[in-house]
Amino acid sequence: MTHLQHSRTSGLRLGVLACVAVLVFAACGGSTSTTAPAASAAASEAASQAPSQAASPAASAAATNQTFTYASHTQVVTDLDPATSYSNEVIAMHDVYESLTYYDAVTKKVMPALATSWTSSPDGKTWTFTLRTGVTFHTGRVMDAAAAKAAIERTKTINQGAGYIWGAVDNIVAKDPQTLVFTLSYAAPLDLIASANYAAYIYDTQAAGAPATGTGASDAALVAWFKTGKDAGTGPYTIASWKPGDEFELTLNKYDGYWGGWQGSHYTQVVFRVVPEVTTAAQLAQSGDVSYVDRLTPQLITSLKSDPDLQIVETPSFQNLVALLNTASGPLKDPNVRKAVAKAFDVNGIVSALGGSVVAAKGVIPPGLIGYSDSLTGTGLDLAGAASLLAASGYGPNGKPLTITTTIVSGDTDLQLVTTSLKSNLAKLNINLDIQALQWQAQWGEAKSSDVTKRQDVFLMYWWPDYADPFSWFISLFHSESTPNFNLAYYSNPKLDAEIDGIQALEATNRDAADAEYVTMQQQLIDDAVVVVPYVQNYQRVLQASVGGFVDNPAYAQVVFAYDLTPGP
Amino acid sequence: MSGSDGVAGSADLRRGSTAAPGGARASAAGGLGRVIGYLARRPGLAFGLGIVIVLAAGAVLAPVLAPFPGDAGNNTNLMASLLPPGGVHPLGTDLAGRDVWSRILFGIRISVGVSVVVIVSSLLVGIPIGLFAGAVGGKLDDLLMRVVDVFLAFPSLLLALAISATLGPSMEHAAIAITVSWWPWYARLMRGEAAAIRGRAYVEAALLLGIPRWRVALRHILPNAIGPIIVQASLDLGGVILTFAALSFLGLGAQDPTPEWGLMVEQGRTLTSTQPWVALFPGAAIMTAALAFTLLGEGLRERLDPKGLARS
Amino acid sequence: MRRILVRRGLQSLVVALGVGLLAFVITRLLPGDAAATWAGPRASADELAQVRVQLGLDRPLWDQAVRYIADLVTGNWGTSIHTRQPVLSDVSGRFMTSLELVTFALVIAALIGIPLGVLAARWKGRPPDWIAGISASLLASVPIFWLGLLLQLLIATELHWLPVAGRWDRTLNAAAVAATRTHMVLVDSLLAGNLTLFVSGFSHLLMPAIVIAAYPIGLFARLTRAGLLETLGEEHIRMARATGYTERAIIWRFALRPSMGPVLSALALVFGFSLGNTFLVENLFNFQGLGSYAVDSIAALDAPAIAGTTILVALAYLAANLAVDLIRPVMDPRLREAGR
Repeated sequence: MTHLQHSRTSGLRLGVLACVAVLVFAACGGSTSTTAPAASAAASEAASQAPSQAASPAASAAATNQTFTYASHTQVVTDLDPATSYSNEVIAMHDVYESLTYYDAVTKKVMPALATSWTSSPDGKTWTFTLRTGVTFHTGRVMDAAAAKAAIERTKTINQGAGYIWGAVDNIVAKDPQTLVFTLSYAAPLDLIASANYAAYIYDTQAAGAPATGTGASDAALVAWFKTGKDAGTGPYTIASWKPGDEFELTLNKYDGYWGGWQGSHYTQVVFRVVPEVTTAAQLAQSGDVSYVDRLTPQLITSLKSDPDLQIVETPSFQNLVALLNTASGPLKDPNVRKAVAKAFDVNGIVSALGGSVVAAKGVIPPGLIGYSDSLTGTGLDLAGAASLLAASGYGPNGKPLTITTTIVSGDTDLQLVTTSLKSNLAKLNINLDIQALQWQAQWGEAKSSDVTKRQDVFLMYWWPDYADPFSWFISLFHSESTPNFNLAYYSNPKLDAEIDGIQALEATNRDAADAEYVTMQQQLIDDAVVVVPYVQNYQRVLQASVGGFVDNPAYAQVVFAYDLTPGP
Repeated sequence: MSGSDGVAGSADLRRGSTAAPGGARASAAGGLGRVIGYLARRPGLAFGLGIVIVLAAGAVLAPVLAPFPGDAGNNTNLMASLLPPGGVHPLGTDLAGRDVWSRILFGIRISVGVSVVVIVSSLLVGIPIGLFAGAVGGKLDDLLMRVVDVFLAFPSLLLALAISATLGPSMEHAAIAITVSWWPWYARLMRGEAAAIRGRAYVEAALLLGIPRWRVALRHILPNAIGPIIVQASLDLGGVILTFAALSFLGLGAQDPTPEWGLMVEQGRTLTSTQPWVALFPGAAIMTAALAFTLLGEGLRERLDPKGLARS
Repeated sequence: MRRILVRRGLQSLVVALGVGLLAFVITRLLPGDAAATWAGPRASADELAQVRVQLGLDRPLWDQAVRYIADLVTGNWGTSIHTRQPVLSDVSGRFMTSLELVTFALVIAALIGIPLGVLAARWKGRPPDWIAGISASLLASVPIFWLGLLLQLLIATELHWLPVAGRWDRTLNAAAVAATRTHMVLVDSLLAGNLTLFVSGFSHLLMPAIVIAAYPIGLFARLTRAGLLETLGEEHIRMARATGYTERAIIWRFALRPSMGPVLSALALVFGFSLGNTFLVENLFNFQGLGSYAVDSIAALDAPAIAGTTILVALAYLAANLAVDLIRPVMDPRLREAGR
């Protein structure tokens, strides 16, 4: 009896010990996390929130009103280093950092930001910028030409992310504290490049101590400094706390020394909240818990339009869907077959089914950019025409059957709809479409494989530019490549290559000529059935009705310039 | 299943109250009457069996019963996208304009069929392994259970991704992945039960009488241990179909336009608050089929578990 | 007892490490380029090559595996490719969040499921049995995001009884962050003496926990019913009846504990399963748990993160199984002899 009793209690005890061991182990691991930012960030966050929490309900309601909450559907921060940042954190970076210029998509003009004016030489190779006075970094140092030069040079030296945009720059000279002179190796629209969504930020390279140049120990120090969740920008807000993996991942507080000043009504705090499910984001918008949701399903948008506490803002974006047709191998190498497949896209049906989240595309370049022309109508759905083209090559409803493959990234219901619709149309043409939904890495890897039989026939993906210029489509997607990177139509047209190589110089010197040239290039692509662009994404943003002054700028995708907004009553 | 081996008492318990020798040779009409009487006393089982028969009929007759059979294949009708239930589409249409009712009908073969295969395969692998480990005990038991633990601990999603990445995403490959992740559950449950029964008096008695171990395991441990496993398995049909849905979340498993219920549920996920019928009806189909198999499984358990029989 | 514990403990450690290593190797073998996740979708070929070297992806597979094990042993679980944070800090915080949620859910499941099963067994063949049986079956097969979303729409958005999502009210975020010690809000809030945070955390846990509890409720109910029916047919129960105990006493005092074996086994299995597979619920309710992390890691081919998650979940599974194997003899005296 005693033996049994003994084993029963010790058994229980040991079982409990086992569970506790797991807990302790996990908790110990947890405590070695980013404690440094946690301590300082918690302190500053507590300090900034303590007054609102200690105050009366009415005052705390007013304080809460001045917080702008952005509901992001993925983790916000991947890389906080302004030289290499190239991911979702861009939605916060533009509240914290500024560039020399910015692009106004409404007027389609490059506007002053940290530079107040600029001139370029007639050959487009020398650009002189006059910088704003009275601007300070969040680190306390003054922003002058030397500091701006150091930032751009570091970004260019590191050359990751979107650093390539500075590729044309040969030399930068800080003639005086307010003047910056760029010498380019070839003509390029540098004012536009300086307004880019990424890699154009002006930041303090001395934030971690010794000036960081992009290489060596001093740079490693700065890289590590950014990793702890600090920022070295000039913008209206500064990072107050960063909790990777948390729901309220990033909090920005106002920077009192901002050159724009804080007169009038502004948000004093910006909070980024990670909400992965669209249905949850919609409910949080309805309950007033978030100020802004960047994307919902078009059906949810329609259902929220009648809510008086919310406003829906719709703006065409610079992002479109490209279907690249394999011009180099497989059945689509035959232009007849390729053109027939291009005629099987039911663009009108797709646009109608996807509701207000897309608009039918005209040509390859989205509206709002130079080179856009609504005379570039694609071919549209034309099964009869497709059948006769196929018959010319022995295929089609009365000819040999054909099997082609298309790859899309998995988990995107819009893409599933496009390919399913294409499949059903192609079936009527005696073509079997094999749809492969893969992870992006796998989809891209397959397209780049050196074994041409492994490559797909139709490659679908979204494309958008790093700065407000259609050059991005042409240099990345249609310029010939020795090893495929993004030219996944494997298109090689020497004439087009020459045009692409010269277009940026043309943009710098003669914008109208560049505009016409872009139209010609697009027509070439359509004639050759290299690509089909069914639609351009239409941004549908949900905001609280009380938020005033919101203008969606497609050049800065998903970015909200919180400083420009007016909090409601 | 003769009564000549083993302890007399357990043989009686096994055959239970329907063991009258003359019953199997009764007339056909009498036999049918007895089946009906048996079912009438168990309305749950009758209900479950009824639904399963309806499902089977639906699976076979789908091409005839479905108003839009093409919608279960390559057809799309983008202008009829997201129509609410009513009129010519009794259960509405999905995003591609396909009739939900037709797709559910054709989906019976796929969803129910493959899921049943997955569960049966998992049972066929898991039960022998668990029985062996539990009946034998000792170091072999330990070793086998650690192997089972390895399979249990391995993330099933990663396994499904690995199989799909090498072989291409499809329902068959997803079925393999799910089976490989599913059998350890049954093995573990079986081992627990077998180990518990191993220590019972009648098992010891059987061993003392010199009956070989394997016979003891099959005749005495298995029938008494299998109850909870059948319970778990019968509840699992819905679970397996929903696992297919979870795999569809990552783009693994059945691909569009296959009318697989789990895939349909996943496709309707973001539409649940605005166009609920897209996910609602496939989900209801899953629950109905699951209910039917649960009731059926419960009936089976009674036949296999002598103690339960004795009390009915 | 202790020998069993030590032996099983060591075995578990080896199993967990082995599974983690297996996951690591398999992920590295999959087609696709993990460097592309790190470098971003627009990286040039040169950048990708650079990053590949940086992440050690250019080395042969066995080399990577050996380095990984060596690092593990020294406490370096690697850096996650998709979050760029140390895997250990990523995973341990989320593990505690999932642990809290799943434990809460299983407590609810046991408190509802077991009595439901008792009810069904007590009134076997009569209406309560059918109702319990049908409810159990429905709960076990309802699509989980459905249930979650419907509850969310009804209880949070329509009735405002419970919050929509999140782990605590947004106005309490600073307090919650400051109080963080175990990453379990119920524990941390009590340790910090913050009752408002405790109540907020509790109300935010309710809906996701109920959704996760749906399947186990059904399972526990059916297993309890089956086990109870079996036990009730045994000799010692007849003796208790003959001695004049009430049916109620017989069930709750004599029959229930020995019948709990399968329920305990199932509990351990469901516990381990739920830690890594509740990503739909986590996404719906904004819980930064292990499930969504695992899914994101798998989508990104993030080998260190996948391996780390796997190891931790495996350890939890094994600990739970071990605990159950040790507790079963306590519940069922028949298992105590024969060196079980």
